[in-house]
Amino acid sequence: MIRLTWLQFRTQAVAAAVALAAFAILLAATGPNLASMYAADGLGSCHGGSCQSLAEYFTGSLVDGPYMVLYLISVGVILLAPAVIGLFWGAPLIARELETGTCDLAWNQSVTRTRWLAVKLTLIGLTAIAVTEALCLMQSRWAAPIGRAVGDGAPEGVAAQGRFTQLVFDTHGITPLGYAAFAFTLGVTAGALIRRTIPAMAVTLAIFAALQVAIPLWVRPNLAPADHVVVPVTSLHTGPALADPDGSTFALPAGNFVPGHPGAWLLSGGPVNTAGQPVSTTPAACTAMPVESNPLAFNDCLASQGIREAITYQPAGRYWPFQWTETAIYLALALALTGYCFQRLSRLS
Amino acid sequence: MSAVIEASGLGKQYRRTWALRDCTLAIPEGHVVGLVGPNGAGKTTLLRLVTGQLTPTLGAISVLGEAPAVSPAQLARVGFVAQDTPVYARMRVADHLRLGAWLNPGWDDELAQRRIGQVGLDPKQRGGALSGGQRAQLALTLALAKRSELLLLDEPVASLDPLARREFLRSLMEAVAEHGTSVVLSSHLVTDLERVCDYLIVLVASRVRIAGEVSALLASHRRLSGPRRDPGTLPAGQDVIEQSHTDKQSTLLVRTDDPVHDPAWTVTPVGLEELVLAYMNPANDIPARRPQLRVAS
Repeated sequence: MIRLTWLQFRTQAVAAAVALAAFAILLAATGPNLASMYAADGLGSCHGGSCQSLAEYFTGSLVDGPYMVLYLISVGVILLAPAVIGLFWGAPLIARELETGTCDLAWNQSVTRTRWLAVKLTLIGLTAIAVTEALCLMQSRWAAPIGRAVGDGAPEGVAAQGRFTQLVFDTHGITPLGYAAFAFTLGVTAGALIRRTIPAMAVTLAIFAALQVAIPLWVRPNLAPADHVVVPVTSLHTGPALADPDGSTFALPAGNFVPGHPGAWLLSGGPVNTAGQPVSTTPAACTAMPVESNPLAFNDCLASQGIREAITYQPAGRYWPFQWTETAIYLALALALTGYCFQRLSRLS
Repeated sequence: MSAVIEASGLGKQYRRTWALRDCTLAIPEGHVVGLVGPNGAGKTTLLRLVTGQLTPTLGAISVLGEAPAVSPAQLARVGFVAQDTPVYARMRVADHLRLGAWLNPGWDDELAQRRIGQVGLDPKQRGGALSGGQRAQLALTLALAKRSELLLLDEPVASLDPLARREFLRSLMEAVAEHGTSVVLSSHLVTDLERVCDYLIVLVASRVRIAGEVSALLASHRRLSGPRRDPGTLPAGQDVIEQSHTDKQSTLLVRTDDPVHDPAWTVTPVGLEELVLAYMNPANDIPARRPQLRVAS
């Protein structure tokens, strides 16, 4: 059964190997230069406060070169790999056998269906996991200088995002492994249920994409109870408060970092009064401030009226626990789908 | 003699409709069984219940003394060639034989290679490039080389032209004779199977109409023709299967185990095709079967 699986899977396996090799060559050709840029900018040997401006310079220089494009392409490949695997390896696994009637051939040899599925799922599923995680590890190695620059305090940009942003969290660490296992088993299950390859592919893509949007938005921020901190309005570097034209209400600009908690994941923030209640009405003392001409004076006025900013966030130390938890969730879903496939298989004909 | 297929009260329901019901059979080993019935009668359902690809809604079935598809060993004892004789489009003929060798402990590679040569299949050709007849031959080769004790073929000749049909059945019979395999062949035309089967099951509208050894069936049916007569006046033990009347004449097909002595009748033997058509005709109300016809043992 192992030999048969290989015989039937080798075209896809070769395609995956070629894709991996191309990815490796692309990164190997550009990685050393990226690392030497990092070293040349003096980031390897800086100490303390000087690092931040060096890091800012380094990430700023990436925007003009090919590295930002390469970064986005490589991240895109890792994001798409699980979906492609689910569509082209998962969905046809059972559906194509049913569609072409070859299940009558496969399931009437001296091998039970259970064993047939067990071998196929194990071999192809492990390959799916290995391929995706290999892409992720290669890219992590390549992008390590960018990650360190972000850690050194480079302002966030397209190519310099915090570890908790979706682009980074979803393509680094171990999460891609969970996505690959899940997308593959999702494809197999959809194929077993729908019994036709193309519709099964469509359903697989729709469900996987929906989860990839929903989980970072609604599940990931709540994997652990968020921490809260109240900071002065003036401590935000992100700009002046925004007052509406008639001066009666105001809002604080959206920040992207948590003051005093480097690497933390900012979930939400908003102005609160001295009692800790959210406010949006401009205090009477500040309504006449010349926001246009002196925006920072408005910030100072808000601060003098006791208005501060309340921030909800996940601390940097939760990065790996969140990686493990989310990967475990996806692996558990993959396992449940696998169990369902075995159950479903005995009722197919 | 043990039964290769033993079914009691077997039924299979798909949503609302019954594809097969009240199927009670005991097919002794060593026969070539013709499973005949119109399209949609439940032939494929019955065969799939025998392979274990379907599970019955009602009743019980045992194949070679075991539950179907219960273990790899049981799977090895039953070979199945599906109706459209599927093969993998992208795999070469030789790869199909490797598949057979890898997945079947009893694989007879010598037989497989020999048959591939005999039927003129190119080992390098891909499944998708084979004609219907070549596909059927490849699928049959896989099933034969598995060296199972029971071979099931669903409409094996439907896609073949008359010449290929003859050739296919001849090569099947050769192989079967060599190894003493029991065979079940289904078809909607009895003429396809007439020459090869020695046991017959007629399936109509999801029910078994008649089952038994061909010789016994032929011996127990007669065509009676004579002056017009009400079939109700026939002696006990003569069941009317089919009747037609003109103003003056009656022609009856009766089932009886006893000789017909009434001198008013001209008694002629019944051919297999005629017999099967009578049982397949839904207009004919078949009287309750008697035990000796239900089970030929």
